[in-house]
Amino acid sequence: MTDLLEVRDLRTWFHTDRGIVKSVDGISFSLKRGEVMGLVGESGSGKSITGFSLIGLIDRPGRIEQGSSIRFGGRELVGLDERELRGIRGKDISMVFQDPMMTLNPVVRIIDQIGMAIRAHEAASDAEVRRRAVEALARVRIVDPEQKVDQYPHEFSGGMRQRVAIAIALLHRPRLVIADEPTTALDVSVQAEILKVVKALVAEMGTSLIWISHDLATVSSIADRITVMRRGQIVEAGPVRTVLDAPAHPYTQALLDALPSRSKPGELLASGATEAAGQLDPSMLRVAAIGAPADPGFVTARGVDKLFQRTAGNLRRLAMRLGLAGAPPQVHAVKSASLTIARGEILGLVGESGSGKSTLGRILCGITPPTAGTVLVGGEPVMKGERKHGTRVQMIFQDPFASLDPRRTIFQSVAEGPVAHGLCTRAEARPYVERWLRAVAFDPALANRYPHQFSGGQRQRIAIARALAMQPEMLVCDEPVASLDVSIQAQVINLLMELRRHLNLTLLFISHDLSVVHHLCDRVVVMRHGEFVETGTAARIFHAPEQPYTRMLLEAIPRLES
Amino acid sequence: MSVASSAGSVSPLAQFWREFRRNKVAVVALVVVALIVFVAIFAPLIVPQDPYDLKSLVLRDARRPPGYVGRDGMLHLLGTDSQGRDLLSAIVYGLRISLQMGLMAGAIAFAIGAVVGCSAAYVGGRIEALVMRIVDIQLSFPAILLAFVVAAILGQGKEQLILALVFAQYAYFVRTAHGAAAAERQKDYVQAALSVPMGGWFVITRHILPNALPPLIVVATVQVASAISLEATLSFLGVGLPATEPSLGMLIANGFQYLMSGRYWIAIYPGVALIILIMGINLVGDQIRDQLNPRLRK
Repeated sequence: MTDLLEVRDLRTWFHTDRGIVKSVDGISFSLKRGEVMGLVGESGSGKSITGFSLIGLIDRPGRIEQGSSIRFGGRELVGLDERELRGIRGKDISMVFQDPMMTLNPVVRIIDQIGMAIRAHEAASDAEVRRRAVEALARVRIVDPEQKVDQYPHEFSGGMRQRVAIAIALLHRPRLVIADEPTTALDVSVQAEILKVVKALVAEMGTSLIWISHDLATVSSIADRITVMRRGQIVEAGPVRTVLDAPAHPYTQALLDALPSRSKPGELLASGATEAAGQLDPSMLRVAAIGAPADPGFVTARGVDKLFQRTAGNLRRLAMRLGLAGAPPQVHAVKSASLTIARGEILGLVGESGSGKSTLGRILCGITPPTAGTVLVGGEPVMKGERKHGTRVQMIFQDPFASLDPRRTIFQSVAEGPVAHGLCTRAEARPYVERWLRAVAFDPALANRYPHQFSGGQRQRIAIARALAMQPEMLVCDEPVASLDVSIQAQVINLLMELRRHLNLTLLFISHDLSVVHHLCDRVVVMRHGEFVETGTAARIFHAPEQPYTRMLLEAIPRLES
Repeated sequence: MSVASSAGSVSPLAQFWREFRRNKVAVVALVVVALIVFVAIFAPLIVPQDPYDLKSLVLRDARRPPGYVGRDGMLHLLGTDSQGRDLLSAIVYGLRISLQMGLMAGAIAFAIGAVVGCSAAYVGGRIEALVMRIVDIQLSFPAILLAFVVAAILGQGKEQLILALVFAQYAYFVRTAHGAAAAERQKDYVQAALSVPMGGWFVITRHILPNALPPLIVVATVQVASAISLEATLSFLGVGLPATEPSLGMLIANGFQYLMSGRYWIAIYPGVALIILIMGINLVGDQIRDQLNPRLRK
């Protein structure tokens, strides 16, 4: 049998003002009928551009260069005009995108979106569209498809929307589906279900699948073969087991070593990025927590409650009295949560999106005032009225691209807090900042540059230096590695572990990624719908979970070892 | 993929200029505006005649057509007005005053708008609601009407007119600053500053304001142009500047009565100068807006 897809020397370059960016630079691979290929790489590796190139969705200034060849079912796709490509897209090759919130048109009902997709390639009566739409939704295991088909996208959860997107991609029984990080934006439990559905459908329909992902574990659970990309080129390709068990290329090996699930909890992860960044230099650092006496109740939160509710205006109150309007919607983000963290402990706060974990983190840090309850750190409240009190607790945010002011230099960002709070004078700020930047292995010579000149890992280290420069005793880390590549993630995790050891810091580590939490944390709290489901030591939670919800979360983690 | 590269790192301003340069129309407009500003600043050194020096006016040379050579041998390139003033000189001096008015009013309105808008967005709650409703009410009236009323109440004079223009325009700046600042307020870097904790004024002036600046700059260019035309309109209607400081609007008003008698140049040339100035500023503003708005980027 001949190959369904044969890519030879594909080069997709972007011709920008600043020169040519070779996003995809001479890759070749082939795909058999019904085969599932995982395309793995870190951000900027060209894996998504490869996917877009296959269905001709490359916009200017990008273009597929001369000499590239994509043969699909014996037909050359490179050089086809837009009209011919449109005849193929959605019919023979279709695509599933990363963010299900963005790919469905919010003002069009599901049935009409499916109808448009059907009629793009064939004529169909309204009755037939309905029949096929219901059938399509049923195929992706959406409960009650006859009703659901008439709803709008906002009535669907993220996971259900992604199912709809998959249903639309499969409408015309395409011979090839390209899925670009389809589960990255979803919770682990939802991801597990989607993986199951896709796996079953692909096997049933005999469709070939290219599954693009940064996550080796997800890919290994669905793919037959893995192709690893780096800087626009393929560094390794082969059957899943071969690539995972005996990687031939050092880059693949490094990717695997950086995974927390592969090493013993509490040990430093193997990370080329850490080595490149240099050794942590904890000398010369003064932090109040060093040498502080042990305190099992260092952080104490009692009965913390947070209710998000808009106060009803006069007009609304009148309407409510007349029965024309209901009370404004409210969200009970945190329900009477009580916890203690010992000095020097790392507590993991785990939960799916909407569990209230970030809100609780912000309350503990003193940014968000709780509706009820008290938070004491070292015996003192973190808030006075509506304002934060003291600087003992500092925070590290999820997205280092958003948490640094783009218009201030690294030096300005790190220096502003210590200067304002008298930790150093304006004149001493330069050496003071440089000391903390060196502490996170960041070259102080670069301190006068702006954030956009740095990579995600570098920025997250700057954000950590900014928090540390306030000489805190506790750090609240809100998903600090969720938006980073695995190798960078390993580097940041290593840094946090080293800092805890040297500076006796207390850490609240908020994450949805259980393998990271298992690796880093001493104790774990599992949250769901604003309530604590289970609390215990990391080893106990991960090896002998008591609650069914915890067990379900653990089972949903994709694993490399099958 | 902006990795810290030491070599060939371009400053944001240079990058901005490189993009700006590609729009030839905008570059021409910029040159024209720069030329007008230059001429306006150095007016006394450039023009053939000081239009306010009554001694140098020759009444017998009044209402002469363009190209007329006066009794003292002076060439009136654009003709003379009803008092024998050299029209080119009068226009240059008029531009000087119009520009002054527009820039002053724009700068003051900009400052008020930036501070009030950003503060309102930062503080939130009732104060924000109150400030923004006042602004909304003001925006529901035509700017010309507000300026006219204020100018009529305050009387003639430079300061009074600037005040009237500011009053008519500050609401646009508040709205724009508020919108941009409210978006920045939610971003993580502001939350990070608050978690330190940094003071409110520091967060507003060092974090929110600089990041809310791009849309404000765009509004500023458009509003300076509109302040100039507003001033011209008020002066034309007689509630603007006093006769001792003739702006373009007053020159047009003076020439208006001669328009039908064939002496078109007295009103038309000041009008053309006004149009060129406003068009120039608007074209430059359009290009800046296109460049600052990522949605319109190609």
